[in-house]
Amino acid sequence: MKIILVDDEKKFIDMLAKRLSLRGLKADVAYSGEEAVEKAVQTPYDLAVLDLKMPGISGFALKRKLLEMLPDIKLIFVTGHGSIEKNGNNGHADDIFLAKPLNIETLIKTIHQTIHPDKQ
Amino acid sequence: MIRKPQIFQKQEWLAFLFHRHNNHLASFHTFSNYRSIWIISIVILAVTSLTPLVTATFINHRLIQQAVDAELVLQAERVTSNAKRSMRFFLEERLNALRFIVNELPYYALIDNAHLGDILGNLKLGFGGFTDLSTIDADGSQVAYAGPFNLEGKNYKTQPWFTRSLESDNFISAVFTGYRDVPHIIIAVRSINALGRVFILRATLDTQRLMDILLSYKTNVHTDIFLMDHTGVLQTPSKTHGKIFTPTHLEIPTFSTTTNVIMPESERDHAFIIGYSYIITEAVNTPFILMVYKKKSGVMGTWLNMGKTFNWIIYISCLVMMIIITLVSTFMVNKLYLADKTKAETMMKMEQSQQLACIGQLSAGIAHEINNPLALINETAGYLKDLYHFTEEQQNDEEVMENLDAILEAVARCGTITSQLLGFVRQFDVQISSVHVEKLITGILSFHQKETEYKGIHVTTDIAPETPAIETDRGKLQQILLNLINNAFQAIEANGCLDITVLHLPPGHIAIEIKDTGCGIPEENIKRIHEPFFSTKKEKMGTGLGLSITYGLVKKLQGDIQVESSQGVGTIFTVTLPVKMKKEDTA
Repeated sequence: MKIILVDDEKKFIDMLAKRLSLRGLKADVAYSGEEAVEKAVQTPYDLAVLDLKMPGISGFALKRKLLEMLPDIKLIFVTGHGSIEKNGNNGHADDIFLAKPLNIETLIKTIHQTIHPDKQ
Repeated sequence: MIRKPQIFQKQEWLAFLFHRHNNHLASFHTFSNYRSIWIISIVILAVTSLTPLVTATFINHRLIQQAVDAELVLQAERVTSNAKRSMRFFLEERLNALRFIVNELPYYALIDNAHLGDILGNLKLGFGGFTDLSTIDADGSQVAYAGPFNLEGKNYKTQPWFTRSLESDNFISAVFTGYRDVPHIIIAVRSINALGRVFILRATLDTQRLMDILLSYKTNVHTDIFLMDHTGVLQTPSKTHGKIFTPTHLEIPTFSTTTNVIMPESERDHAFIIGYSYIITEAVNTPFILMVYKKKSGVMGTWLNMGKTFNWIIYISCLVMMIIITLVSTFMVNKLYLADKTKAETMMKMEQSQQLACIGQLSAGIAHEINNPLALINETAGYLKDLYHFTEEQQNDEEVMENLDAILEAVARCGTITSQLLGFVRQFDVQISSVHVEKLITGILSFHQKETEYKGIHVTTDIAPETPAIETDRGKLQQILLNLINNAFQAIEANGCLDITVLHLPPGHIAIEIKDTGCGIPEENIKRIHEPFFSTKKEKMGTGLGLSITYGLVKKLQGDIQVESSQGVGTIFTVTLPVKMKKEDTA
């Protein structure tokens, strides 16, 4: 299972990657949307954890680009907003959202549920 | 007891006089002193409407007075003038008759008692009013007499009337009693006999005839007609001044050959109008003044009564107008006050909601910015903990683990606060669906089943049977009820009560009342409970956002929330919601 974490908060995303790897989930990190796209060219990721608000390519824009490149990729959004704006053209009712600060156990549970929805 | 929502509250009559002063609310009012507006309004309306009425009445009164006075003068003048003419005619006629006799008959015929008696008989027959007739020579000796009194041979030389009658051709005396002791008038003509000696033919006139003539002009009881001499002594009886020969002490009117009318100013006579005339015959002046007294009030009675009736109508009209003016002013000022009050209340609410919105936006900004560093702290601390957890040698260091857990717990608390802050301004889509309030309440209460049993809380729900399913946003209503019921559970001590009542307020509202027997809210706090961040539970992890979010949600559902509380007894929250929510207000 190949996972990429995208957030402009470098320290945050590094820590998150390390904590996931300690729990047996290997994850690449990208500090911007552009970097994520570059990495996705080389690696066909199964799952991306995206920050919604980033300089340059935003979370939703990145979602569209990644879906173009990897139609089967699963997405989890992470946001500093306590709530999720599902309205507008950017989001979709099926998108999964998690609020910052994250609970690592919740994240892992969500990752597993996303990748293997049938196992639930 | 459900407190009715504002739209059902009766608007008080006279609210502008007896309202509780609220400085903050008053600052939004357009007018500050309704009492003085009320008084000014009454005064202006009263002055503008009553002044023309009163002025017109006054002028009308004066005009009537003048017309009546003019009419009275005319009447008095006519009566006086007519009576005078009759009097003059009466005296002249008799004087001329005597003149005819002395010119026509020879002297010897006039000194013959029998002949004189015949003449008297004819005079009585032709003219009337004669009592006796006598011829007197220049020495005052009565040479012949015809009449009922035995006066033959009397000498009148010393009598004043005799001396005066010798002085002119004709003479008319005042009324006097003389030898016979009966009031009479003497008329006399002077002539010269064939021997060239002066003699006088004298007749006495009966005063009764005179009085009858005067009385015939007395048209009503308010009129008094009498004669007086030039010294003011009555010559005929008067109703107002007494018997004959009484001195009247009246002011003698200025001499005039014509008829005059005066309106005396003196206190005694101002109620009268007086017509007078000196009686002057062609041949001689008489000593008589004809006086006509008319009592104003008597003659004017009809007019005065009408005036009184008119005045009463005016008084009553003024009173009715004053009452109407007062009522109308009160009504209008009250309406104005109520409108102004509604406006002020709306403005105050707007100010409050603007404040809330400002605070909300600020909070949301801060919360969002804080969430990122919080996430970093969370991950860093989590990673540290992971390090200890996944490397064997340090995992037994309890102190480090405790501190890391403290950091993570603090982060989780901050996360709760920021997520609530964000919830405060969150703009959800309002999704209207049909909601059964009863099911919703039952669901929420089931969360608290354990707590209910543990604390021994007695929970009752009373849902009015006719309560309809309402069309509203299920999620928001759930959050409202959850917040209120949570608050109630926190407030209730062991063995307390929680009563939830749902009422249908026809036509279009329902009310949900949540009543606890908890600690209650102190009065000074009750106004602030909807303010964000106001909390008395700071030590127990309260954020002070619960009720302000609830308040915002109720407003979003087009409802109203009210609170009644007394410290130590309990608190009642009443949420009023429309049965059908309007769609256009969902933004």
